[in-house]
Amino acid sequence: MDHTYIEEHQVVDRYLMGRLSPEEAGGFEEHYLSCQECLDRLEVTESLERGFKRAAGQDAARLAATRQLAVVVWLTRLSRSRQAAALLVALFVVLAVPGVLSYRELASTRAALERERIAASSRTTAEAERLRAELDASHRDLASEREAHSRAAEQLAQALRPQANVPILFLNAERGGASGGEPTFRLHLPAEAGWAVFALAIDPPHHPGYRAVLRDARGREVWSGADLRLNEQESLSLSLPSTLLVPGDYTLAVEGLAPGRRPVPAGRFTFRVLPAA
Amino acid sequence: MNTDAAPEPGEAEIAADLVRRIAAGDAAAEGELVLRYSRGLLYLLRRLGAPPELAQDLHQETLRIGLERLRRRGLDEPAGLAGFLRGTARNLIIAERRKNARRRTDADDEELAQAVHPAPSQLSAVLQDEEAETVRRLIGELPTDRDRQLLLRFYVAEEEKETICSDLGLDSLHFNRVLFRARQRFKELLERESRPAPAS
Repeated sequence: MDHTYIEEHQVVDRYLMGRLSPEEAGGFEEHYLSCQECLDRLEVTESLERGFKRAAGQDAARLAATRQLAVVVWLTRLSRSRQAAALLVALFVVLAVPGVLSYRELASTRAALERERIAASSRTTAEAERLRAELDASHRDLASEREAHSRAAEQLAQALRPQANVPILFLNAERGGASGGEPTFRLHLPAEAGWAVFALAIDPPHHPGYRAVLRDARGREVWSGADLRLNEQESLSLSLPSTLLVPGDYTLAVEGLAPGRRPVPAGRFTFRVLPAA
Repeated sequence: MNTDAAPEPGEAEIAADLVRRIAAGDAAAEGELVLRYSRGLLYLLRRLGAPPELAQDLHQETLRIGLERLRRRGLDEPAGLAGFLRGTARNLIIAERRKNARRRTDADDEELAQAVHPAPSQLSAVLQDEEAETVRRLIGELPTDRDRQLLLRFYVAEEEKETICSDLGLDSLHFNRVLFRARQRFKELLERESRPAPAS
């Protein structure tokens, strides 16, 4: 064994690491028994190895840079296949963690979308129900309007037809204040809905215009009219629908109107409505 | 390496000469033999696990046995003197271990291990700390991180040279050069540390 071989094959280092074969170790031991140069090299290398291991051991107890050394040592102690496996595991963690997080986020988003869809469906159903209810109410209102229109049209048509057997009541004003007795004038309602004509005799002084208010026995206003004028007979004529009247006592209060003046009582007329004969 | 090959010619010739001269009664040759092989034998015995005192005793015993053998009947192969001495030293330490094992009726493994591999003394611990500090200084002086990786992986992880070279993209020559320079520089730093400070 010569020094060229020893140097090229790191015999000294491998001997100290116990990695020489028994034959190689024996040959080297026989060589260095008498070789001062190799003995020097052995002692220095032994000291160097000891220093490295001790430094590594000391540094491993510290926090920062030592951790890198321990990782390097651990990694380098692995076989090549295990190093590859460790790298694959690290890569898998690096790649899988975002993937897992993305999958969880996706699942969370899907769940949120599903909840929103259900909520939207609920809102749509409620809205449809509301609209349906409004439609039904509109239909009912339309039916009522149609019925009312029909009645009105019937009444109009009836009103436009020539009237026969129209009750006419000629009224004179009460004398001497409010009457406590029964009304003198009586009116039978027509058998069918129609009109009732009232002719009110107005005493002088006359006024340019008049207004009248019809009240029932309880004092409720049944009708009122203004811009009334005397006819040639110096009376006021009113045509009221018979449907406005129900059997009972009524009072017509008339007031004379003049521009710039306060209304002046022009007469109070009472009458009783009787059912159709 | 061919392990069956003969030792270096220089060593073989020197060994054969010593064997011949000692067999002839040359006392100077015995002194030369002791001078030549003493340090190596001590180192070998320590490598085989003998504590310093035991290594001294056994190295003395090895030389005594060797000289007696050479005086009486020499060696069949004089060039194999180093091999003979090496074998004698190994046999002696093996015998010592057996003797220690027989002395204890209940084998105390820890005591036995301590006898063969005693824990470092306080002084040794201080010296080892000094070695560690010198290594740190050495690493700090390295020009490249690749060289640092090389040394760490070789001396701490004890990885194979071929693997390191392959991983770091180095050739064998560069690897050897880094190791050689690291060893040289470490030796210089150690010697500088052990040199006494100049008197003021």
